[in-house]
Amino acid sequence: MHDMPEPRTREEPLVAPPAVGKLLPLVSPREGRRPEAPAGTRWGPWLAEKLVAINGLLVIIIVLLIFLFLLRDGLQTFRYVTVADFLGGRNWYPLSEEFGTLPLILGSLYVTLGAVAIAVPLGVACALYLAEVAPVMVSEALKPTIEVLAGIPSVVVGFIGLVVLTPAIREVFHLPTGLTGLTGSILLAFMALPTIISIAEDALVAVPKSYRPGALALGATRWQALRGVVAPAARSGIIAACMLGIGRAIGETMTVLMVTGNAAVLPKTLLQPLRTMTATIAQEMGETVQFSSHYFALFGIGLVLFLITFVINLAADVALHRMAGRQR
Amino acid sequence: MEKLMAEPRRAFQQPVSLPPAPDGRVKIAARGVDVFYDRFQALKGITLEIREKAITALIGPSGCGKSTFLRALNRMNDLVPGARLEGVIQIDGDDIYAPGLDVVALRKRVGMVFQAPNPFPMSVFDNIAYGPRVHGVRDKHQLAEIVESSLQRAALWDEVKDKLREPALALSGGQQQRLCIARVLAVEPEVVLMDEPCSALDPISTLRIEELMRVLRENYTIVIVTHNMQQAARVSDETGFFLMGELIEFGPSSGLFTTPRDRRTEDYITGRFG
Repeated sequence: MHDMPEPRTREEPLVAPPAVGKLLPLVSPREGRRPEAPAGTRWGPWLAEKLVAINGLLVIIIVLLIFLFLLRDGLQTFRYVTVADFLGGRNWYPLSEEFGTLPLILGSLYVTLGAVAIAVPLGVACALYLAEVAPVMVSEALKPTIEVLAGIPSVVVGFIGLVVLTPAIREVFHLPTGLTGLTGSILLAFMALPTIISIAEDALVAVPKSYRPGALALGATRWQALRGVVAPAARSGIIAACMLGIGRAIGETMTVLMVTGNAAVLPKTLLQPLRTMTATIAQEMGETVQFSSHYFALFGIGLVLFLITFVINLAADVALHRMAGRQR
Repeated sequence: MEKLMAEPRRAFQQPVSLPPAPDGRVKIAARGVDVFYDRFQALKGITLEIREKAITALIGPSGCGKSTFLRALNRMNDLVPGARLEGVIQIDGDDIYAPGLDVVALRKRVGMVFQAPNPFPMSVFDNIAYGPRVHGVRDKHQLAEIVESSLQRAALWDEVKDKLREPALALSGGQQQRLCIARVLAVEPEVVLMDEPCSALDPISTLRIEELMRVLRENYTIVIVTHNMQQAARVSDETGFFLMGELIEFGPSSGLFTTPRDRRTEDYITGRFG
């Protein structure tokens, strides 16, 4: 920190080359202000700029390091099992050195898809209601309430699920146990809903006010105006809301660990106990011998999870950009 | 008063391009119309008749109720919480505030162009096709025909015929406003309401819209709210002057702008207030 002025003098030619400064003195306020401004006043912005840059870099470096660590330990798995057996194997018996993760991958997929199927239609419908239909008083009371729901710890959600939802599922579907994929899906949907509703509602409210009367004055009904003009205008925001909700659902561990029954078998329906990748890692990591094949296999699962999330985020990003490009 | 009548002020040179005010039949009739926003009375006992296939201008200072009256004609005021109307407004003799009246069908007959251009965030084509689609036109060829003829009637076709698939928001402000007019024409209205359609536009674009209004007058009944008195004098057949929720004077524009009968009208059009 003591050599602060040093990098600044080195940097200045980059920011305002002398030629540009001479031709357009107003282009670079830093250059123009230099003669009269006391030295001290420029340290604040300089420091802030550098701190922000360092923080930004640090975050990227940390994420990269996490990924490298995951990669290093995850790839060790394949000393014990082939990629095909790891991803396509139907049996997860770590004690017998059978590391087939297909049941776990499918378990995660089932529970997440179930959650999405419940949360997206409900969440978008609720956002439409809050933004377009509900009286102002109602939406102003409901929205903060819904946002508070996002703050419920996942253990609490899981506990409520165990006490309330599990028996109900067992009764309704006449099952031997209520600890099923569906139970997990419903609870995950419940946890993703606040995110989806809140962000989708923001997107709808941000649509310019003039579109609605414009559509209504053409003889559109309120629903037609909403569906044909307002909702498409908010489309990218609504999609982002759903993606964030899904992101929350796929990475969630505690709730699914508590209510899905944790049977590592190939799931056929959502109405049977199953086990997700996250729950497997959380449950087994404490019991493994460090640097054993089981330990590495759990990191392998982490790697798979990471890649799936990465692909989903990437797809969402690409979709959003394409949408934004088309609208402009 | 006699003195005023004796030497009428020539506020504006009346252009000669318009034929004299038509003696067409009455399209819209308002009788004793009061509009309230909660307790506030925005319109007081408005009675006037708007002729078919003519341009009627509504002028007056801000807050005088002219836009409120315009929005009463296609019931856009229904969207304002606390708005309430008393009195009768008839279009072709039908009370448009009759219980059970289909507001959607009314708005199809009475189109509206807003103050700021408000094209939807979609392509030029889809903007025009939106109205017909809402009213059930699905056939692609038919839609293409409607889009072309609407754009032609709005004098925009030549400028955008190669840009039909491009976003409407990429057009210039004046083009956007003509697009909004074309969008209204696409649903085949009988009446076109214009709420200060040129206030956000430059003089050249304003001129083009005024030219367009003169052409549209052949087929449509046009009611325009404007702050611009020259504009009212240039394009309209009849003019109504609103002040504090009352209709002070209504009559042929040639008379109203040259020999106003009311002192307040004269003060306004000569620029003493407003």
